[in-house]
Amino acid sequence: MKEVEVSAKTVDEAIQMALEQLGVDEDQVEVVVLRKGKSGVLGVGAEEARIKVRLLPQLQEKDDVAKVAMEILETLVKSMGIVAEIRATQASAGELPVTLNIEGDDLGILIGRRGQTLASLQYIVRLIVAEKLKMWVPINVDVVGYKKRRYESLRSLALRLAEQVKTRRRPITLEPMPADERRIIHLALSDHPDVSTQSMGEGEARKVAILLKKR
Amino acid sequence: MKELVEYIAKSIVSVPDDVKVTEEADGDIVVVKLEVAADDKGRVIGRQGRVAEAMRTLLRVMATKEGTRVRLEIV
Repeated sequence: MKEVEVSAKTVDEAIQMALEQLGVDEDQVEVVVLRKGKSGVLGVGAEEARIKVRLLPQLQEKDDVAKVAMEILETLVKSMGIVAEIRATQASAGELPVTLNIEGDDLGILIGRRGQTLASLQYIVRLIVAEKLKMWVPINVDVVGYKKRRYESLRSLALRLAEQVKTRRRPITLEPMPADERRIIHLALSDHPDVSTQSMGEGEARKVAILLKKR
Repeated sequence: MKELVEYIAKSIVSVPDDVKVTEEADGDIVVVKLEVAADDKGRVIGRQGRVAEAMRTLLRVMATKEGTRVRLEIV
């Protein structure tokens, strides 16, 4: 991990010097003040401020992550004999997680039953990226916005079913779902005043139940 | 199908030069054989077979597209 130590008259000045040395912005580093420094009286008893600046590991490689991940996914998709284009989107420039969206026609084949193919593709991409960059980074792979739409419909389904549980005063169990989808249900209802959620079952058959909160 | 397995395996093992992938027919099934260094076997299989399972899922998609069936053997 890259870090530098800098001394200057004031802490602010030292930070500026360190950032210049590293050629980065302040939000890409972690600053530790080692000594605040004193201005002294007429230069007598003055002490320099000393800081340590460390590059944040994820941000250090932020551009690389998107680029590396994109190349890997492109190679995978191509060697599967599928013609598609890949676009990387980030919450805001250079931020993680990176979402790679595969765009093209007839790509349902890449989603698979319950999104299984897509999950495998994402897993392999993460694995190879982790091997290349020597760290595990959050990368999402989507196919023509499938996951985004799926998550949105799961959220409204969760809210609708929660109302049913409330009025019928009986729990409802959803279809088996992969982990990421179960998470969406849990999150959607985490603040709900009347119901709680719980996962049950093992492996492929694991599913979420919406239960009435006990008073 | 060979290329896909070869790319994935070479990207995750510690001795990429020892990765050997062959493809042969067994009736109407395509058999993809993946050979890696002994120490790398665990990597291409993965915890609870997760990596192998993911590779099989992707291979199955390709096979379906080509109207055939596929089997991945790690030897």
